[in-house]
Amino acid sequence: MFVDVKDVIKEYPTATALRGVETGIERGMWCSIMGASGSGKSTLLNIIGGLDNPTSGAVFIDGTDITAMGEDELARFRRENIGFVFQQPHLVPYLNSVENVMLSQYFHSLTDEDEAREALKRVGLGHRLHHRPSQLSGGEQQRVTIARALINSPRLLLADEPTGNLDRENTRLILELLKKLHTEEQFTIILVTHDPFVSGWAERVLTMEDGRVIKDEPRYC
Amino acid sequence: MSLVIVEAAVVGIKEAAKLGIVWLVYSSFLREHNREGFLKAFYLGVALASGLALVSFFVPSTLAVKDFLARLIGYVFFLFFLGSLAALYQPARGFKPKWDTALGSLVVILTIVYLSPDIIGSTMFVREIAEMKAAYLPTYVSAATGFALALALTVIALGRFKHHIGRFFGLGQFLLFLSVVKLLGGGIRGFAELSLIPSVQRGVMKFFHDVVHQMLVFLMVPDHPMLSITTWNFVGILFGPNIALAAVLALLLAPPAMFLYHGLLAPLPEPSEAATGAERRLLKAAARADRRRKALPVALFICVILVFWFSGRAEDITRLYNPKPKPVVEDKGFIVIPLTDPTMNIRDGSLHKFSFYHEGESIVIMVIEKPDGKLVVCLDACEICPPEGYGLSGEEVVCIYCRTPIPTDTLGIPGGCNPIPLEARITDSKIMIEAKELLEKWDDVITGKTKEAIR
Repeated sequence: MFVDVKDVIKEYPTATALRGVETGIERGMWCSIMGASGSGKSTLLNIIGGLDNPTSGAVFIDGTDITAMGEDELARFRRENIGFVFQQPHLVPYLNSVENVMLSQYFHSLTDEDEAREALKRVGLGHRLHHRPSQLSGGEQQRVTIARALINSPRLLLADEPTGNLDRENTRLILELLKKLHTEEQFTIILVTHDPFVSGWAERVLTMEDGRVIKDEPRYC
Repeated sequence: MSLVIVEAAVVGIKEAAKLGIVWLVYSSFLREHNREGFLKAFYLGVALASGLALVSFFVPSTLAVKDFLARLIGYVFFLFFLGSLAALYQPARGFKPKWDTALGSLVVILTIVYLSPDIIGSTMFVREIAEMKAAYLPTYVSAATGFALALALTVIALGRFKHHIGRFFGLGQFLLFLSVVKLLGGGIRGFAELSLIPSVQRGVMKFFHDVVHQMLVFLMVPDHPMLSITTWNFVGILFGPNIALAAVLALLLAPPAMFLYHGLLAPLPEPSEAATGAERRLLKAAARADRRRKALPVALFICVILVFWFSGRAEDITRLYNPKPKPVVEDKGFIVIPLTDPTMNIRDGSLHKFSFYHEGESIVIMVIEKPDGKLVVCLDACEICPPEGYGLSGEEVVCIYCRTPIPTDTLGIPGGCNPIPLEARITDSKIMIEAKELLEKWDDVITGKTKEAIR
């Protein structure tokens, strides 16, 4: 398994978010995690991405136990192996599209403006290179975040409700883009959504409820 | 006697500190590059250099031997200094295992060449001061104790860093480090020379002066309108203290500056093995981090060289011994310098000056005993500079106007920047100089005829 989740429990002082989640995701797969609000899907995604620690259990990515890593090692692993797309674009408002993508390069290694431009052209924003986030539509902003997430060639893309703020047409465009990039680059996608239309694009859907995976079904699309 | 013992201890401490620091960086450097096998070659080189030092204990420390050692130290410094540049522009492309035997031998030879002049020179110095004060055992014990304690302390204190230091050094940085250690601790004359910087300064200044001087003499054609006393005075500025010393500083700082340029500003090479843009950037970032790490000790070297250069320069300028001239008079056509004065020993190796008043002017004569024991008598002026005279610095007299150093063993040779020699009759009781000759030569100086002769 490329991503191996071993009996992960996450407890907060007032609630238990994950109750012994155990699952594995193959390399290169597009997997969706479905579930109602509060089912623990975002918590699981954050733990897989090393943004949060489990109370117990372990997460292995390509055989590496990321829950055993120290802060610095984990940060390095994250920036070299994992890309994130969130519901909110979290773009820096005073930087243009190219600069927002270059920011990700900067924290990874070195900046390369040509490469950032190319990445934006690949997500269909060749005509919006020097626009600031406020000058872009929601769909365009999310395309910038996808370019930003993929600029460092991650092996794993984690997306938490990436189309949550978009209308159906923009949702479809973003998913088509992800599909195209996924086919071309063969990275693994784990996408959290509560929208059956979005989850329908995945090769496999995990359904969560009350901190547990209650359904694990392959899909063929 | 106590000062001798302290000085012997200082010499021992200095040699041990140098050896300890070199061992530390060398062993870390080898560990970083997985070539710890070469440490044995280093130890063998140290053992052989120490053996040579023991042998040198029985070799007479003549002026020629000491001069040879001092020059050798300078050459070794330049060898490693230039070697570091070669390594910077021709980085090692990975040594093949079949070269190990040859490289091991090279390490042994370079270790001996690097260490032995200092150790031998210091051994001779310790023996000399022991002989001078007839305090053999305390002096030797002091030097040996200082050496042993300093070596132990250096190894214990710095040994903990040996796992971390290697990554700051590539081959170029390592060779530069060795040359800087040599520069800052290469002297072999105890307190009088705890750093090589003043010697390098003098050597480079002399070289710079000679080049400028010879070039101007070569280029200037007779009757050239630029040829005048004033011009020569301007020329004097060229090889005067400021420009020559700046040239020394530039020479010392040029290689470290090139290292810094390569470490911080030069474009990073494109990695050939990267599959993706991100991998390419990661490799370049790693190369940049490595370069920056290796620029760190070089920046430190620059600071240390600057500090030593400024302090050395200040020392050099203030250290000139320039005695007040004693008045002498003419007697039957001769200027007579009496040698019967019980307060003065003309053969003490120091600089002695005497002034003869003529028509309201003071003409200064300098007398000094050369290392070969001969007394030399000169005008306190040269053919080129304004007659500000000379001061004594170690085994050289230095022109106060242009700071050109003249070794005392070459005094008496006429021409150029040398003090103008005077014919003198020397007896046990007096030195007699023909007044006519003195006045003629002085007249040539103040009227600029000496400069015309150069033309």
